[in-house]
Amino acid sequence: MLAQNIKFTASVSKNEVATGEQFEVSFSVNGNGDRFTPPDLNGFQVAGGPNQSTSMEMINGATTVNASVSYILVAVKEGDFTIGPASIIVNGHKYTTNPIKMKVVKGKPVPQNRAQQQQNGPDNNLNVAGATDLSKSLFLRTVLDKDNVYQGQQLTLTYRLYTRIGIVQTQVTKMPDLTGFWNEDVKTTPQAVAQWKVEVYNGVKYNVADVKQIILFPEHAGNITIDPFSMDFVVRLQTPARNIMDQVFGGGGYEDKKYTAKSAPVVVHVKQLPEAGKPDGFVGAVGNFAIQSTIDKTELKTNEALNYKIKVTGSGNIKLLKDLNVNFPVDFEKYDPKVVDSIKEQVTGVSGTRFYNYLLIPRHAGDYKIDPLKFSYFNPNTGKYVSLETKPFDVKVAKGVAETNVTSLADKQDVKLLDKDIRYIKTGDAGLFKEGNRFFGSVSYYLLLLLGPFLCLGAYVYRGQNAKYNSDIVKVKNRRAAKIAAKRLANAHQQLLAKNTAAFYEAIFRGIYGYLGDKLNISYADLNREIIASALQKKGIDLPLITRLEDTIDLCEMARYAPVTHISEQEVYNKAKGIINDIENEI
Amino acid sequence: MILKMKFDLLKRLAYVLLAVLLPLLSFGDDNTQALFEKGNAYYTKGQYQQAVGAYQQVINSGYQSIPLYYNMGNAEYKLGEIPSSLLYYEKAHKLSPADEDINVNIHFANLKTTDKIDEMPEFFLNRWWHGFILSFSVNALAIWSVLLVLVGSGLLVLYFFTNSVAIKKLSFYSSLTSFFIGLVIIAIAGSQVSYFDGHKQAIIFSGIVNVKSGPVDQPNTLFVLHEGTKVNVLDKANGWMRIKLANGNEGWLKISDVKEI
Repeated sequence: MLAQNIKFTASVSKNEVATGEQFEVSFSVNGNGDRFTPPDLNGFQVAGGPNQSTSMEMINGATTVNASVSYILVAVKEGDFTIGPASIIVNGHKYTTNPIKMKVVKGKPVPQNRAQQQQNGPDNNLNVAGATDLSKSLFLRTVLDKDNVYQGQQLTLTYRLYTRIGIVQTQVTKMPDLTGFWNEDVKTTPQAVAQWKVEVYNGVKYNVADVKQIILFPEHAGNITIDPFSMDFVVRLQTPARNIMDQVFGGGGYEDKKYTAKSAPVVVHVKQLPEAGKPDGFVGAVGNFAIQSTIDKTELKTNEALNYKIKVTGSGNIKLLKDLNVNFPVDFEKYDPKVVDSIKEQVTGVSGTRFYNYLLIPRHAGDYKIDPLKFSYFNPNTGKYVSLETKPFDVKVAKGVAETNVTSLADKQDVKLLDKDIRYIKTGDAGLFKEGNRFFGSVSYYLLLLLGPFLCLGAYVYRGQNAKYNSDIVKVKNRRAAKIAAKRLANAHQQLLAKNTAAFYEAIFRGIYGYLGDKLNISYADLNREIIASALQKKGIDLPLITRLEDTIDLCEMARYAPVTHISEQEVYNKAKGIINDIENEI
Repeated sequence: MILKMKFDLLKRLAYVLLAVLLPLLSFGDDNTQALFEKGNAYYTKGQYQQAVGAYQQVINSGYQSIPLYYNMGNAEYKLGEIPSSLLYYEKAHKLSPADEDINVNIHFANLKTTDKIDEMPEFFLNRWWHGFILSFSVNALAIWSVLLVLVGSGLLVLYFFTNSVAIKKLSFYSSLTSFFIGLVIIAIAGSQVSYFDGHKQAIIFSGIVNVKSGPVDQPNTLFVLHEGTKVNVLDKANGWMRIKLANGNEGWLKISDVKEI
């Protein structure tokens, strides 16, 4: 390795800095250096360092070594300063760096107690620095993003590990139970958990890792203390360097040591939600929300299902939302909503969407209105309540096909008829009758019942009488005489109307003769005027009537052979009728 | 004249018949029938309260019928008044024991009552006999008996007056048969009436009834019944009623707690 190739240089991250600003100065040599003399750093505060690094490359058997020492400096006073030369001996030759001029202008005051700068990725150089006081180089902090909140307002809690030394093994021994809070763990990827960052705390650079992040929702007002959390570590401590080589190039030994770290308790101040302006339907939502309602159909039939969906989007205690006060029409059968969450827990807080899916079944036809849903929340950023309203929906329900009325049969067992209703009413004629008028056993019933037997009895008696009545032929003939005569006379009257003179007289003659024959019980062949007269006389008929009868008979006999002129046919008819009537009355 | 006299007698008989039959045919007046139909219309529209009101008016004016009691029971059932609905169903059942609609609805209403009483099994001959005598309504039986007796009489009269020997034979035997069937029907109707008269029943209307061992208010209770349960009435005394359950248990309860069918 040639001496002229050796370069020992000094550099700063910037030449002009403000007071309180950090900058880095580094010295590097491309060879195995010895006896490094740090420069004069008057006017600057050392915030970190010296950080040493060594790298070795072997290319085709040629070994190249690079070593560097760097300091993190903070400018304290304003003015012009000079970083003096540093020197190192390589292969017996002394090399010196050039001094660097620095200009410090007025800036922020020098921070004492605040983390000032964060840098992504771990700075392995930090580990190298030996530290004697472990509590200063390895500790835990409970970090809150805000410590003065409203009840229900979310805050993020971070358990953070600060270290300047190498950690071999870690174990969380105690996590506070966080009473007084509803908590949600921040879900992060495993890689993210293990990620180291560099952070300056109290002016010192640390490697920092977030052990756990939790989002908290205070459940009640007041000062709530978060208990400390503790971890067990096995740390690797560097034994003090025996010589400068060890110091510069990381020589020397290590020692593993057990150590328990504990964070300090922190207090959260929780304020009550203001009573002033609290809306009626307030259900405890704190954060920032938006609400939207949708309906899957506005026209349907009875007994069909209707989906009414409410979407609540935002950040805050969305998981703690109670059921919403939705006013559905009374005739709607309403089921408990199906709640679906799509919520993310991040460092910035809990946010996402919650869906309330209401299943409604209208049981009756008609036009219904689903009232707007009133939703209100408290916005902790503005300290005010906000009320939101969804839009109303008009729903038209047409009559469905079958109206089923399911009877509840839950009280009893061993029943199979689950899908049946009572039978429908009877329509049509009511068949009303007065109470107490039972037909069976009533008077009319017995009368009707006895009617039949009475009829039979009557018929029987009638038949007997009739038989007796008709047993004497003479009497029967006698009784029938007038009837037969009337029949014959009626025949005669017909002939009279037909102007059939001969037939008329014949009918009259036969009528009278027949009548007398039946009446006097004389055979038709034996009938003549004399016999008739004597028989009538015997029966006590007076003479004039007999004479009138004889005259009429003569007239009829005469008319059969010669025309009769002195008397009209009508008169003959009347006369014959009169005679029969008279005789009938007398006998 | 005798003939004329006979005719007059027949005429008079016809008038008597008409006078007896007409009241049977006068099924309420048009007003109550209209009211009944109004109740049906309310029921169809689902306005059960109004339907009950309309039926109640018909009942209050002293009328009864199977459809009236049945529909009233249905309307009360729809209103959830199970004891009332059972009362009217049972009334309808009494008028028409074999009506399937009524029996099905009684079954449904009974499912909604609290007390589950296992009926004592009846001797199978008894059961058949009851099923037989209850298979027709009393009114139907009465009308059939009258018709059969009349037909029998008519056939007997035919037997008296006919001249054909064949007709005489036929009419005589058929007349005897119809007389016999008529008498059997009268017997059935009589047993049905005596069955219902002997089986007075009541429905419990109070929500909960303590059944005591005697007709006095005493602390110990034999058993507890709930509304809608049907009990058999055995006896009544001093505002108390002696009842018997279908499972054979007996006890006394206050008449005010029940309504008789």
